[in-house]
Amino acid sequence: MSGSMTTAPERGRWLAALALACLLAGCGTKQVVVESEFPDPVMNPLPLRLGVWYDNEFANHEFFDEASGRAESSWLVNTGQAQVELWQTLLRGMFREVVFMNGKPGPGQMNPLVDAVLLPSVDELQYAIPAHTNVKVYEIWMRYRFQLVTVGGEPIAEWTMPAYGKTPTAFMQSDEGAVRLAAIVALRDAGAHFATTFTRVPQVEAWLNSLPRAGGQAQVLP
Amino acid sequence: MTLRLLLLCAALLPWLTGCVNATVDQMVFNSPTAGIGDASVVILGRRHASDYETEPGFIRCVGGHIEARDPSIRVIDELEFLNALYPWFEPRTAPLRPSDLEKLFEHRDVAEKFAALQTRYMIWIDGSTVRGDSAGSMTCGIGPGGAGCFGFGTWSDDASYEATIWDFTQRAEVGRISATASGQSYMPAVVLPIPIIAPVQGTACDSVGDQLLEFLSRTD
Repeated sequence: MSGSMTTAPERGRWLAALALACLLAGCGTKQVVVESEFPDPVMNPLPLRLGVWYDNEFANHEFFDEASGRAESSWLVNTGQAQVELWQTLLRGMFREVVFMNGKPGPGQMNPLVDAVLLPSVDELQYAIPAHTNVKVYEIWMRYRFQLVTVGGEPIAEWTMPAYGKTPTAFMQSDEGAVRLAAIVALRDAGAHFATTFTRVPQVEAWLNSLPRAGGQAQVLP
Repeated sequence: MTLRLLLLCAALLPWLTGCVNATVDQMVFNSPTAGIGDASVVILGRRHASDYETEPGFIRCVGGHIEARDPSIRVIDELEFLNALYPWFEPRTAPLRPSDLEKLFEHRDVAEKFAALQTRYMIWIDGSTVRGDSAGSMTCGIGPGGAGCFGFGTWSDDASYEATIWDFTQRAEVGRISATASGQSYMPAVVLPIPIIAPVQGTACDSVGDQLLEFLSRTD
């Protein structure tokens, strides 16, 4: 009897602490680190030696959205690692040879000799969860900016490209897990969009046609 | 006596399910004449709509249903197929009509992959299961003496799916199956909540799976 008299308040305090911890956890930052492997693209590689340069912002890309109210959580979505993984896999399948640059192309920068250098960046990232939209899907939307330049840094082409990914709500799936899945779908979409439209970008098309060996052979599209 | 009653209730609990109404429509233009032999089938979810997405779990369920009932039919896993043919079957790039396959096969690498997979039929499934009206309320409490719930909740689920069958050899649509199912689930709670769930998506999966199985196993 005396045993139960001493343990009941302790149990109550423990439960109160647990409830407080749960409440506080609801107001913290939800962090999502996107990690995935991506498949090799099935396509005839373009006969080009392409250089690639990822700046630090792209290679460590993260998106932070601060909570607008006490009832909401802040979000930190880190896509950098997955971005590099995707573009490495995709570009190696799309081009005859892919070379990673020592530094950002420009006058005076020593880099391997290549046909052109691609500089990808993420202009914008937006997300939506069911709590925002009342639609039972989690969504990620990204806008990429690509620059194609010579080894000396002279511009050849510059264009933007959207990518979108969504995943439905699922039983026993956390918000973080669903946003991570949506981001992976968005990255796959980015790869698919880039692979099927690269040679159709007007400036890129003009440049490809100006290359004597690539004229008429650089067919990636259906 | 009380223990026996509790054990009986525990044993019966998994069998408590809500009622489901299902309707199936089938339209077959050109069914196989001698089964599909060594060829394989791939089942893919359509994911173009902005406000819903065909659940990957439903696609796995239909594939599993077919393989479990006819082990001679080889169903290629959806993700395995999407990865093997990346980027040509992503939501943005997937062919919308059988005639689009011709363009796709102009790519030598894609044609070779298809040949290696020996895919005879491609089945596209479009649809989703949505939660409808819900009613009731439930209160749960926790205290030093224990925890419990009291109340009653009910909700409805509606499933609607359409399967379109493409024949690779004919480059044509050869059949279309649609299934709808709806059901009401209940959750009474007196200390313990007792879920009486209507297996709406499972019923739709079985309906679509049975019809596809009939189509693929047909030997006229």
